[in-house]
Amino acid sequence: MTSTAPAGGAVGGVRRRPRYLAVCLTAMQEATAYRFTAVFVVMLGFFWAFILYFLWEAAYTDTATIGGYTWPEMRTYIVLAFGINSLIGWNVAGAMQEAVRTGDIVLEMVRPLNYCGAQIARYLGYSTVEGAVALGLTVLIGVIFLGLQPPVSPLSGALFVVALAGGFLTRALFLFLCSLLTLWVLSNAGIMWAQQAVTLVLSGAIVPVTLMPLWLQGVTNVLPLRGIVATPLAIYLGKVTGPEMLGLLGLQIAWLVVLWLVADRMWRRAFRAVEIQGG
Amino acid sequence: MAELRIEHPRRGLRGTVALYFRLQLVHLRASVEYRGDFWIGAAGATVYQLSYLIFLMVFFSHVDQVAGWTLWQVAMLFGLAGLPRGLVEMLGDGSWTLKHMVNTGTFDRVLVRPLSPALQTISSMGGIHGLGQAIPGLLLLIIGALLGGVSWTPGLLLFLIMTILSSTVLLGALTLMANLVCFWEPSARSQIPIMYLMLVDFAKFPLDIFNRGIQLLVTGIAPFAFVSYFPALVLFDKHTSWHWLGYLSPLVTIAVVAAVARLWVVALRRYQGVGH
Repeated sequence: MTSTAPAGGAVGGVRRRPRYLAVCLTAMQEATAYRFTAVFVVMLGFFWAFILYFLWEAAYTDTATIGGYTWPEMRTYIVLAFGINSLIGWNVAGAMQEAVRTGDIVLEMVRPLNYCGAQIARYLGYSTVEGAVALGLTVLIGVIFLGLQPPVSPLSGALFVVALAGGFLTRALFLFLCSLLTLWVLSNAGIMWAQQAVTLVLSGAIVPVTLMPLWLQGVTNVLPLRGIVATPLAIYLGKVTGPEMLGLLGLQIAWLVVLWLVADRMWRRAFRAVEIQGG
Repeated sequence: MAELRIEHPRRGLRGTVALYFRLQLVHLRASVEYRGDFWIGAAGATVYQLSYLIFLMVFFSHVDQVAGWTLWQVAMLFGLAGLPRGLVEMLGDGSWTLKHMVNTGTFDRVLVRPLSPALQTISSMGGIHGLGQAIPGLLLLIIGALLGGVSWTPGLLLFLIMTILSSTVLLGALTLMANLVCFWEPSARSQIPIMYLMLVDFAKFPLDIFNRGIQLLVTGIAPFAFVSYFPALVLFDKHTSWHWLGYLSPLVTIAVVAAVARLWVVALRRYQGVGH
């Protein structure tokens, strides 16, 4: 009688890596294979940063501050906002939508993994390669050409990194939730465009929150998306300090918990609704 | 005995145009079949365009004008670029299928059919998704035309209509040109055409704000400024040293179409199939 493979530990003498780490590392390898695409994705993001840079530069010829931002602060905001935006490339969720389209999603359903966790691990793997390239290029181009400012203090620099990590998870969970909708509506392009646009505006990526009209500020301030760009950059530029800063970080963490709980329930429901196309 | 009759495609320009619209009708019918897909796609594209509008409104709530251009005038630039882009997407976006066809060798089929390969390529994709770009573009155009401070005359209106037609053809030709790169650089993941077409975004803003390099880029190498900025100079009667370039748009379109037609022949000669 043959014995079945043990659930954990050694298989055939090779020690198995933790499952989610394995997913993450595989994604890293995938991203490395398409490294030119990674660079292109970054450059596509940069393209709009350049447009905004020139637009604001022209606006600052008449005035020293706009909405409380000086020109050096504004250009730092624009450049970093786009760097942060390219942390998660636009086609990371593409594989999942393709799986829905072809019916391969059924393979995901039989895997003994938390689908949400596995997808987040995948995004992490991709972003370690694509995001590293993106952020590296951003800082490089920013410092050389666009006069990028350093963080106001070492502490704000450190907390910026913390907020950035929280923002990454927020974006990953939001992207995952939007991609899950594909399982119900079977059409991904429209949802992805809308998702991108909503993220751009409500994260503060195209314009700082304090410049928005009040009604939009009200919406942005309570939603989780501001944690992606606006919160880390407000900390970086020293626009928020003390209790206000802690409040923003608290909001980010609270939303992360909520998003995780929702996402974790939703993928199970989505899998029940699944329709295998052409299967 | 009944004989199978093969209808020969009509030749000549008129026949080609008629056939082109017949092929397009097929795509329109196809996209109507997937109604949910269409509405979600159109809604998504509209939301996407809306995000630009929100940005513009926020920007201009803090700044009265940029390089002498007001919010409504910039909206006009967005419309002048967006509407033709949407029309191309609706009427002939098939250039984007070239990369796949050349890569997999299915382009062989295009070559053996008794129809112009260019016609087949351009009309191999299209549909009402383009409405998602065309409608917001049209709205911005109308807003800009009404609030941008144009003193309308019949001549100017005619100029606007001609500009839109010419821009649609120009953008279609440039889309095909950018996609011809697959005959030289057949990488399946090539992003060059996408990047080239993205340069049109520069032309959604007054060129005055950019440096000389970008100005030359969107005038010469990627002449998207002839779609929006230069015609807008004429419409808003802005007197700069290159004001007259606005009238050249149709000529640029003719020149680009002629150049792309030549390039197409060169590209076809390079096609080698994939060996089956």
